[in-house]
Amino acid sequence: MNIYSVKDKLKKLIWVGSIVFALALILLPLYLLIKYSISDASSINTGGAPIPLWPYHPTLKCYKYLFSDTQFYNVLSNSLIIALLTVIISMILGVPAAYVLGKYKLPGRHLLILGLISVRLFPDIASVIPIAEFFIKLRLHNTYTSIVLAHSLLALPYVIFIGMSAFESIPLDLEQQARVMGAKGFTIFFRVLFPLAMPGLAAAAIYTFLLSWDEFIFAYFLLGLGKITTLTLFLKQKLAYSPPQNLLATISVILSVPVIIFSLLLQKYMAAGITTGSVK
Amino acid sequence: MFLEWIKKQGKLFYEIWPLIPAAAYLIGFLIIIGIYLINLSLTFANAGIIYYPTLKTFYDVFSNPKFLHALISTTIFVVIGTPLELIAGLFLALILYKSFIFRNFIRSIFLIPLAIPALVTATLLFILFDFPGGHINHLLMGKYPLFPQLIQEALNWRASEFLALGISMIGKIWRDMPISMLILLAGLNSIDPELFDSAKTMGAGIRQRIIYIILPLIIPSISAVVLLRSIEMWKEFIFPFVLAGKYNLLSTLIESFYNDWGNSYAASVVALIMVFCIIITAYLFILLMEYFKKRILRS
Repeated sequence: MNIYSVKDKLKKLIWVGSIVFALALILLPLYLLIKYSISDASSINTGGAPIPLWPYHPTLKCYKYLFSDTQFYNVLSNSLIIALLTVIISMILGVPAAYVLGKYKLPGRHLLILGLISVRLFPDIASVIPIAEFFIKLRLHNTYTSIVLAHSLLALPYVIFIGMSAFESIPLDLEQQARVMGAKGFTIFFRVLFPLAMPGLAAAAIYTFLLSWDEFIFAYFLLGLGKITTLTLFLKQKLAYSPPQNLLATISVILSVPVIIFSLLLQKYMAAGITTGSVK
Repeated sequence: MFLEWIKKQGKLFYEIWPLIPAAAYLIGFLIIIGIYLINLSLTFANAGIIYYPTLKTFYDVFSNPKFLHALISTTIFVVIGTPLELIAGLFLALILYKSFIFRNFIRSIFLIPLAIPALVTATLLFILFDFPGGHINHLLMGKYPLFPQLIQEALNWRASEFLALGISMIGKIWRDMPISMLILLAGLNSIDPELFDSAKTMGAGIRQRIIYIILPLIIPSISAVVLLRSIEMWKEFIFPFVLAGKYNLLSTLIESFYNDWGNSYAASVVALIMVFCIIITAYLFILLMEYFKKRILRS
């Protein structure tokens, strides 16, 4: 009996130790990123002394510096404009497609879905060359149009996939009841199905926004060092010139914060049971 | 008869027309990517003269030592990185498998690396593995309490191919381990707990339960992780691009050919070879997993 309890305690200790180790593995780098972003110069250039685990004199200097720089505002607004336009295009194209695929059992549906998502089976780094060359030919290189169209291409399969699940989860009875009560196609879609699919579609929109916001490969190849700079390109430019580490960390934090916040929201939307009890 | 057919087609069109713009957009771009990739790779430029169609660019790329080196490095990156990512994912999944208070909260924390942009993770590693004064160098030099001194002098992580690609791999594994975790967790959760109880009652130890119950039942999840993660390892661009610089993998070689040398033809050839490698890897892994599945089921 005693041996078993020691064994159990040991097992529990190993398990708790594993949790602590895993949490440290994930949270420590993030903590260090934030720590660097609020570090003063003396906490980074220590002259051989160990870099402190908490800055000697925490400061928001880098944040103030970035937010007083007009170029940084341009970069932020570029990222925002591109991400929002990508959301608009992806949703306009993706939601109707998701509705059709989610609601109708079309012949060859699986093949069609495979065809629609197959563009994502290509590695980004392999598909970016033909797309860049295509946009160069159309004289769209270094324009909002090229990057928004490219990001929409990346996001559209996800919108269709997530949207499809949202529409599939709406009971067919609801649509039939609305039809019996005299509602027509558009009314059914906008008044009945769309509101019910909203949480799933919101998740798709947020996902699209995030995908565009932190996308690097297409932005790098399509915009390069042109006049339109996104936040990821701005960070890469700074990396190339080896600027102070606290500045790099600050840009990284600004780039990550919306992604982390929205990702948490996304989890909430994904978990929402949207149709429970909607059919009497 | 004909009128009926027209009516049927009309009804089908009425149902599917909202799908057409998205399908045209995606399939249109897919065709553009395919045609451009093949056309560019069959083009060769020399002294301002364009040759098409020709396999000269393929010959050029294959005879370039940089390409062979990148191909070998990428293969090693995939072969080492994929199992490590599987192990990392399994470690996190086994922690969450047991039901406990705050399980959902800890699961959310485990998912955080996935929410961090890859470029940010790469930047973070760029800072932490700095030479000579990054946190990691100071840690390994024993400058912090409770950690033994492992090296005498600071390591220049990004100046050595082995170390640079090593930290790229660490970044990739750290960022993507939640995906492996989710897939494996789904596999683990599908195992009937009664199986464990029965095995336990019949005297099976932890090792036996892992080998004879868990492993055979999560083979599909392991296959999925190995397949998906190996594909991702072949495709990886951001970590080696930021952290390994001149030490090319196939992905960074594409960038180098395209941006540094202005050679979209050679870049397309490498891109095609990368796609080919991914298809071959996927096929081999499927065969290998089938073989292991049969062996485990037989035992």
